[in-house]
Amino acid sequence: MTAPYRSTVLADARDGFGRLLAAEWTKLATVPRWRLALAASVLLTVAVAVLTAAGSQTTGGGGPPARLRPLSDQGRITYQMLPGDGALTARVTAQGGGGGWAKAGLIIRADLRPGTPYAAIAVTPGHGVRLLSGYRDGGPGGAPGTPPAWLRLTRAGTTVTGYASPDGRTWRRVGAVELDAPGPAAAGLFVAAPDRVEVQRQFGGESISGTPADTRASFDNVTLTAAGGAPVTGPWRDRGGAGGPAAPDPGGTTRTGGTVTLAGSGDIGPDAFADDVTRTTLTGALVGQAAIVALAVLFVTAEYRRATIRLTLAASPRRGRVLAAKATVVGLAVLAAGLAAAFGSLLAARPVLRAHGTEPPPLTDPAVLRAAVGTAVLMAVVAVLGVATATILRRGAPAITLVLLVLLVPQIVATGLPVAAARWLQRLTPAAGFAVQHTVRRYDTPIGAFAGLGVLCLYTAAALAAAAWLLRRRDA
Amino acid sequence: MEATIEVRGLRKRFGPRLAVDGLSFTAAPGLVTGFVGPNGAGKSTTMRMILGLDRPDEGAALVGGRPYRSLRTPLCHLGAMLDASAVHPARRARDHLRWLAHANGIPARRVGEVIELAGLGSVANRPAGGFSLGMRQRLGIAAALLGDPPALMFDEPVNGLDPEGVAWIRGLLRSLAAQGRAVLVSSHLMSELEGGADHLVVIGRGRVIADTGVAELLAAASGGRTELRTPDRQRAMTALAREGAEVAAAERDAVTVSGLPAERIIEVLTAARVPFTGIAEHRATLEEAYMELTRDAVEFRAGTGGEAL
Repeated sequence: MTAPYRSTVLADARDGFGRLLAAEWTKLATVPRWRLALAASVLLTVAVAVLTAAGSQTTGGGGPPARLRPLSDQGRITYQMLPGDGALTARVTAQGGGGGWAKAGLIIRADLRPGTPYAAIAVTPGHGVRLLSGYRDGGPGGAPGTPPAWLRLTRAGTTVTGYASPDGRTWRRVGAVELDAPGPAAAGLFVAAPDRVEVQRQFGGESISGTPADTRASFDNVTLTAAGGAPVTGPWRDRGGAGGPAAPDPGGTTRTGGTVTLAGSGDIGPDAFADDVTRTTLTGALVGQAAIVALAVLFVTAEYRRATIRLTLAASPRRGRVLAAKATVVGLAVLAAGLAAAFGSLLAARPVLRAHGTEPPPLTDPAVLRAAVGTAVLMAVVAVLGVATATILRRGAPAITLVLLVLLVPQIVATGLPVAAARWLQRLTPAAGFAVQHTVRRYDTPIGAFAGLGVLCLYTAAALAAAAWLLRRRDA
Repeated sequence: MEATIEVRGLRKRFGPRLAVDGLSFTAAPGLVTGFVGPNGAGKSTTMRMILGLDRPDEGAALVGGRPYRSLRTPLCHLGAMLDASAVHPARRARDHLRWLAHANGIPARRVGEVIELAGLGSVANRPAGGFSLGMRQRLGIAAALLGDPPALMFDEPVNGLDPEGVAWIRGLLRSLAAQGRAVLVSSHLMSELEGGADHLVVIGRGRVIADTGVAELLAAASGGRTELRTPDRQRAMTALAREGAEVAAAERDAVTVSGLPAERIIEVLTAARVPFTGIAEHRATLEEAYMELTRDAVEFRAGTGGEAL
């Protein structure tokens, strides 16, 4: 009898995760229709971005540039110029109208141009005394302070500190903010109130209509002193609304004796209803994702359909590693396609948006970069979810359907639900991952960008764990 | 030890059906071991368990003395072709072999070698979806040979092939065994293994019916009978019966003799001056031997026809 045979390649053969990655990559790259699916996802995403941009209309033509941090800078201000350090004190004697976030108080700002940094302290009917800055709601404070209430702002260098007092004698420090505005600054009294906004949501869309809310407040004991305590003298000037067709009533200022009454509308604060141009441009990811999900699912289920899974698992009996290699290869390939799709969309949409009167936000802005890279990561994670689901179900059509339903249904249903329910739906389902595309915080923003992506990652990790368990346990 | 496939007490149940029921056998190096049984006898299930694809309920399968799933580069220990159609139709034959080679870190030159070995040179760059059954079998065999393994396993490799393809595979299996490899080949037709196998493991209903060398099996089935041709049948039968042989008249001029070796028959006939024109040992075909062996199993199945298979 002949001697037992010895393999001539055994000495050269190696196992390891890197080899598995090479094997899975070869599988992915050698089926032409899968390469096409990747290209199709990019093209679909970019095409939708261009179509969306072409469909955008800005009334009046040449509208304002899209802001990354949309804000409202209106209301009524009466002010004097403060040359350097100093203190501004006044008593708010009455406040009326404008809702819970109506503001009546003191403000210091470098100038009166819209969007200038400011520091302000104000009483609000619904949120107490607040130190405000940066066109955000909230801020330090919150202790109840209903008129009559004393307020004070002091400016020392770049620091503005806010105080409140019930009687003008015992002062409580509310907080301090940095105001990087050297030199003369406008210091004065202001009233502001957010627009009354009605949002009508129906399946597939929303319509927002805002009407200005009027607010008024009275002040007395107004003193503005420079460093050293000398009173600042100079003319009081007024700033009304920003003007334009939808602008609120500029209101007015009346002075009787020591009492100043301001009336105005419009807010100094966030604009929670602005368009998110970047996010809208990246909507195409929803469509491109269909090709991605199909690719990721078929990459796995084709192996079951053709029984090549037996070859795969016979060549690599460590099944968990096989799944990890598949997920990694598909994830990375889709990440590359996703980057091309996201940046391609933003670049291709720019000239179209400009032609339609919208100035697109710069690509270099951190929020835009986050949305673009996030979209690519989102697509990659969705692909991994597809791989996991396909491994669990082992059949293409049900797996594709399930993944697409889970990603799309919450987003479609959410548009028809009350805002509170919609937000929870978009926080708790895998669709939360799409939050990474937001560059603007809006009234209906359900979850932070990274938190939303995290929710999707958790679902994906759970599906991957279940897939690994089943793959190890089941007969191939 | 390197080049053996060993199955010990394998048992596998699919729902109510016991597919493999305590199977034990060994495919030894240097031999082509035929693994024969009717469809549904448990051949493919056994092969999947050897490859670690299906988990046995009981028992173990060892390749070179080790469980398949513990092998780090399994393609270099056991090459297998379970299903020749297991290839993505859009992938080129060469790419199919390339990913498989990558999975075990097998050098790329080996892909070219097995393509030549399997005679796929002219079609290697075409999508496998357009392959004929014969070419797919060749691709499956190329894949099995990728790791140049000392043990090989083929599930129904000649099923559906034309005579030329059958002859090629038969020759290939013989030459692989001649190199010292263990070759396990399944078939549901004994005739497919005629002249191809050295050893046979016959199974039915998940159990081993026979585990024997082909020569022994044929000898047993032939039963030591001798075919005798003689113009004087009557005298020949009388003379042989007197010596204690069992004699049966077959066709005209022919007698079947059992119980006496051929040399003794010649002596007896010569001594009795009975003329004869031909004498030959009766050779059963593998198919006859197989029918003999599986008759019980088949009868049993026919008797319990209501049972699901």
